[in-house]
Amino acid sequence: MRPILRRWQQAFASNNVLRRTVSTLIWLPTAIIFSEYCYSIKSIKGRSMQPTLNPDSSAWRDIVVFDRFSIRVMGRYRRGDIVALLSPSDSKLIVKRIIALEGDTVKTLPPYPDTEVRIPEGHAWVEGDEPFRSEDSNWFGPVPLALIDSRLSFIVWPWERVGPLWAPGLRSSQFKGSPAWRRGQAEMEREKRRESRVQYAERPPPKPPSDGAMSPLGGA
Amino acid sequence: MSYPPFVERINGGFRRLLRAAPCIGYYVAHTVNVACVIHLFATHVGGIAMADGPSMLPTMNASGDWVLENRWVNWKNIQRGDLVTVRSPLDPNRLICKRVIGLPGDVICVDPTGQYAPSTEHVVIPRHHVWLSGDNAAWSQDSRKYGPVSMALLKGKLVARVWPLKDAGFFKSNFNYID
Repeated sequence: MRPILRRWQQAFASNNVLRRTVSTLIWLPTAIIFSEYCYSIKSIKGRSMQPTLNPDSSAWRDIVVFDRFSIRVMGRYRRGDIVALLSPSDSKLIVKRIIALEGDTVKTLPPYPDTEVRIPEGHAWVEGDEPFRSEDSNWFGPVPLALIDSRLSFIVWPWERVGPLWAPGLRSSQFKGSPAWRRGQAEMEREKRRESRVQYAERPPPKPPSDGAMSPLGGA
Repeated sequence: MSYPPFVERINGGFRRLLRAAPCIGYYVAHTVNVACVIHLFATHVGGIAMADGPSMLPTMNASGDWVLENRWVNWKNIQRGDLVTVRSPLDPNRLICKRVIGLPGDVICVDPTGQYAPSTEHVVIPRHHVWLSGDNAAWSQDSRKYGPVSMALLKGKLVARVWPLKDAGFFKSNFNYID
């Protein structure tokens, strides 16, 4: 047993590449936790968020920073934010925009059976920016906030549209009449139309004490 | 044979940083790393967790039981009667424990007691959803209140009870068919 162990040790000590690989890979868990709870970068597939993401004018898929910190750690859910969530009908990650939060009343679009819906406690109404190509809350109804995985915060590629996603005004502060300015105007108009369909709750209703707690690893 | 230069630079820079920092910093970094491993294991593979609250009463004590939880689950193989942990549809920060009563395609009576809905109301559970219920119906918020729950919210399956030693053992399905 002993000589085998020593031979392994020697091989490890003499092999520079192996040693470096191991000493780098040993930090992988920290990196995974960082991407799970803080930030990661992904590319967007599909056209349901057109023209905000993946517009027809762009030859590449958009690459976006996914901000999990503000959702998972801070628990910050805001109307108008673009979020990635697990689809309730097949658990795949989809990208949509939060239209309304609990207590709000939304005027729905065609596939939904009712014309108006009040969002129940702990739920949100999500929609794609492109209403015809998007399977959103008009199909599956309000989604639980727990399905929301991350917030899309920043476009990093393509470079014409690099900028924060939470403030379209920042990206459109170009000269009046330029294509970027016109895009910004159209975006603001869409925002206004979106907001006109929602009647906001005055204040969030008080939460009743819930039951059946299940705490991971030692919490009470 | 060597790495591309940018990897060498990152590696070298990191090692120099660690050498320059006091030894304590190195130990802290490793401790954090080990904590990350433990957390990743507990959230993706499984571990021991505590379940408390009155909603599962005859099965679990209100004062809290330590249970073995399996997080590596293929949700296609879930069965009626399984105990599962779920991220609460009412509060994204809560993890709750319930029993699976209905699978996709089942027809379920919303509430036989008529407390939350008329006792004649039935629903068909949609694709990729399950019907959850607490064992203590009188003191449980479950699918009677929030309807079918998406499988995307399911986190893990309870396998066995480990702590009050006299009750320790595997959880058995309490389901049987009536002809």
